[in-house]
Amino acid sequence: MNVFVKFDFNTICKQVLEEKLQLLGVDYTIESFGEISFKEKLTSKKLDDFRILLGNYGIEIVENHKSILVQKIKDAITEMVFDEDEKINVKSSVFLAEKLEHSYGYLSNLFSEVTYTSIENFIILKKIEYTKRLILENTMTLTEIAFKLNYSSVAHLSTQFKNTTGLTPSAFQRIISKRKAVLE
Amino acid sequence: MTLKSIYNSSWFLKSVFALSIFIILFVSGVTYKHMKNLSYSANQVEQTYKVSVELEQIISYLKDTETGQRGFIITQDSIYLEPYLKGRERINNTLAQLRELTKNNEDQRVNLRELNTLIEERLSNFSRTYANLKNSSPNNPRFDAIFLEGKNKMDEIRVRVNTMIALENRRLEERKEAYKKDLKFTPMFLFGLTLLTLILITISYTKIQADIDKLKDANAKLEIFKASANQSEIISKHGNWQWIVEDKEFIFSDNLYRLLGEEPQSFDSTIDNFMQFVHPEDLEKLSIQVEKMMEDQELPFINYRIIRKNGEIRFFKARGKKVNIGDFEKRVLGTTHDITDEVENLLALEEQNFELEQNNKELSAFNYVASHDLQEPLRKIQTFISRLEDKEASKFSDSGKLYLKRISNASSRMRLLIDDLLQFSRTNKSDQVFETINLNDLMENATQDLAEIIQEKNATITLKNLPIANVIPFQIQQLFINLLSNSLKYSKKEVKPLVHVACDVVRASEEEVIKKTKSDFYYKIIFTDNGIGFEQEYAEKIFMLFNRLHNRESYSGTGIGLSICKKIVENHKGFIFANGKPNTGASFTIYLPKK
Amino acid sequence: MNTNFMHIVLADDDEDDRLFFTDAFDELKLNTKVSTYNDGVELMNYLKTDTAKIPQILFLDLNMPRKSGMECLAEIKADTKFKDMAIAIYSTSASEEDIENTFVQGANIYIKKPSDFKTLKKILSQVVTINWQYHTNGLNKDNFLMRL
Repeated sequence: MNVFVKFDFNTICKQVLEEKLQLLGVDYTIESFGEISFKEKLTSKKLDDFRILLGNYGIEIVENHKSILVQKIKDAITEMVFDEDEKINVKSSVFLAEKLEHSYGYLSNLFSEVTYTSIENFIILKKIEYTKRLILENTMTLTEIAFKLNYSSVAHLSTQFKNTTGLTPSAFQRIISKRKAVLE
Repeated sequence: MTLKSIYNSSWFLKSVFALSIFIILFVSGVTYKHMKNLSYSANQVEQTYKVSVELEQIISYLKDTETGQRGFIITQDSIYLEPYLKGRERINNTLAQLRELTKNNEDQRVNLRELNTLIEERLSNFSRTYANLKNSSPNNPRFDAIFLEGKNKMDEIRVRVNTMIALENRRLEERKEAYKKDLKFTPMFLFGLTLLTLILITISYTKIQADIDKLKDANAKLEIFKASANQSEIISKHGNWQWIVEDKEFIFSDNLYRLLGEEPQSFDSTIDNFMQFVHPEDLEKLSIQVEKMMEDQELPFINYRIIRKNGEIRFFKARGKKVNIGDFEKRVLGTTHDITDEVENLLALEEQNFELEQNNKELSAFNYVASHDLQEPLRKIQTFISRLEDKEASKFSDSGKLYLKRISNASSRMRLLIDDLLQFSRTNKSDQVFETINLNDLMENATQDLAEIIQEKNATITLKNLPIANVIPFQIQQLFINLLSNSLKYSKKEVKPLVHVACDVVRASEEEVIKKTKSDFYYKIIFTDNGIGFEQEYAEKIFMLFNRLHNRESYSGTGIGLSICKKIVENHKGFIFANGKPNTGASFTIYLPKK
Repeated sequence: MNTNFMHIVLADDDEDDRLFFTDAFDELKLNTKVSTYNDGVELMNYLKTDTAKIPQILFLDLNMPRKSGMECLAEIKADTKFKDMAIAIYSTSASEEDIENTFVQGANIYIKKPSDFKTLKKILSQVVTINWQYHTNGLNKDNFLMRL
């Protein structure tokens, strides 16, 4: 029999972090945006162990402060895109600038420098990824998805989807379901 | 029950016949009775006559006696007494006769006895008179008294005789009356009966004649039918046969023999004789089936071969069914059909079909491979040209760059052509799968595909009513893409292209343009645009392969797009028609069968 | 991008196409290392060895002698060793159904070989970038589908 599951990455990551942090035996607080603050400084050995522990779960310890900021930007974008409660009503540039307390221009340049892609592109990528997930969940129509993700129309979503992936949303859905059929 | 139904019932003749017999018997009975009456009457007359005669005879004898007596009285010659002497005897005879004649009549017998007495008295008178005269003359005193007595007796006798005669006559009269009465009704009655009989006989005759006519008619029709059946057997190469269940005998029709290549009825119609002709490979199969038929009285369809005496092999198909007709014994009626021609035709057709299919496959493969394999070198050419243009442009002179450009253009053109040809050959592939799909989705995909050019030309595409239908999805999508792309390509400069797609369900019979339809209902999808249109006279030409209405400089194109559309529509057993009005626009109407 | 270079592999029987491919990556200067193989058999022979460096992206031509692209795809999908490898079908024109079929059989990307070098560079750059995005952002590789 087949069971279908849905992942909430945030919860999973948090859980893993918690577990591993317990093992460390050090006092810690989990701030937002993947930031953990320890009461004391960790020895490099402990840090390495911790890094290895987390590494098994694909969780990386980000060293570089630029990378850190970029990660924060990414997380903020994620939050914006996955905005379940529709709290965020402002333009993405405004939102990011406010949230991360830097000018949007600075953030934008930094992001491109580190990731070789623009924030806009990343936002689109995230949105399309979320769209893919929602399409596969099969509980919402494309129009509803477009609305949820703040597209001006379903055509706009379709166009962007096609521009990004080269496939129409329906083709995407069809292919994934055919893949599933093949695996059975 | 109407008169007609009585007339036509089978009891009619029987009852008429019975009635006639009865009437005849009745009439003969009546006639017999009358005959008897007649002879009885005749007898009566005779009897009366005889009685009269006898009585007269008695009177006569008595008179003779009287005369004799008178003679004797006058002459005293005993010669005149002869009658008196003979008279007694004669009178007795006569009386005896009379007794015989009147033995049935009581009154007359009484009369007769009286008469007898009177005659006795008269005769005794005679004797006394004779005795009286013997010794004396008639003038004696006793003589007158005796003579008078004698006369009175004679008178009494006459009276009695007259009474008797009168009685007889009265009886005769009575009989005559009775006879007359009888006679009054009898003739009418008999005449009536005879008339009735005549009428009945006439009716029966007409009925019998009518029945005979009907029978003759039916017979004639039967003969015609038989002849026609025989004829049809010959024309359609059938042979009919019968299996009479009880007798276990076969009857073969004439044509069955001919099918075997033999003269009609040239051998006995037995199953063994027939089996002689059956192909050895089919012999067992047929024998088993025939045996089954003899049990079940039914022969289901069976195919087998026979070999004629001249070696020719023919294919037969036989079938038999039980039949009960009227009073005939149970039979199995069967028919055997020589299907050799059909079999041979079918084989020939199959062969032809196979060849055509092979041919088609080859052509398709050729087309596909050609288009496909031509792409590679072309792509290389184009890529290397682009490399030249990028990397080595500076090393080229102006004319060199121009030539490069021209080469590039020519290759692009070739590219387009090959792409379209490839597309065309793809729509030819016979192994296409039909799916039930929402045409709106396909339309959406098509518009997505053309999103760039739609945006560039600021075009508006409106849809209405596209249904869910059973189609080959990719092909219909291609169809939509080709039509939309055409509308966009051939749009008026400076005018925003408007394309409207509408769909309706229509009845084939109500659409004049559709002939030879296979389905009753069709989806009618119309693409309408406000582009440059075309002359209606080219409406059919534009679907032809490589046909273009414009040169390459005005509008790009390969002339294959609409042929592909037509092919796709034909793959779906549908139709496509074009309508154009120069400078107004064009519309393309597609009919897809609705299943 | 990552300080470690990205390993790219191409399997294509056509010499010119291999040339275009490597030239394009050379000009892109994307910190990539490109290896090419001449047909499916050579490719699978390399990939199956224990010491093989599994590329981040494998570009696979469909029409190859001895072992076609689809056959390679099937073999690759059957082996969990390659589950993190993005597979890009790199082929000349195919029908819509065939293209969809490559996705269904497990390909992530379908690229129709362009007839223009600039376009080729653009496409390859796009592929590499997106793939890296997937990699660094922990996006669901199963949903990674792209058509160029």
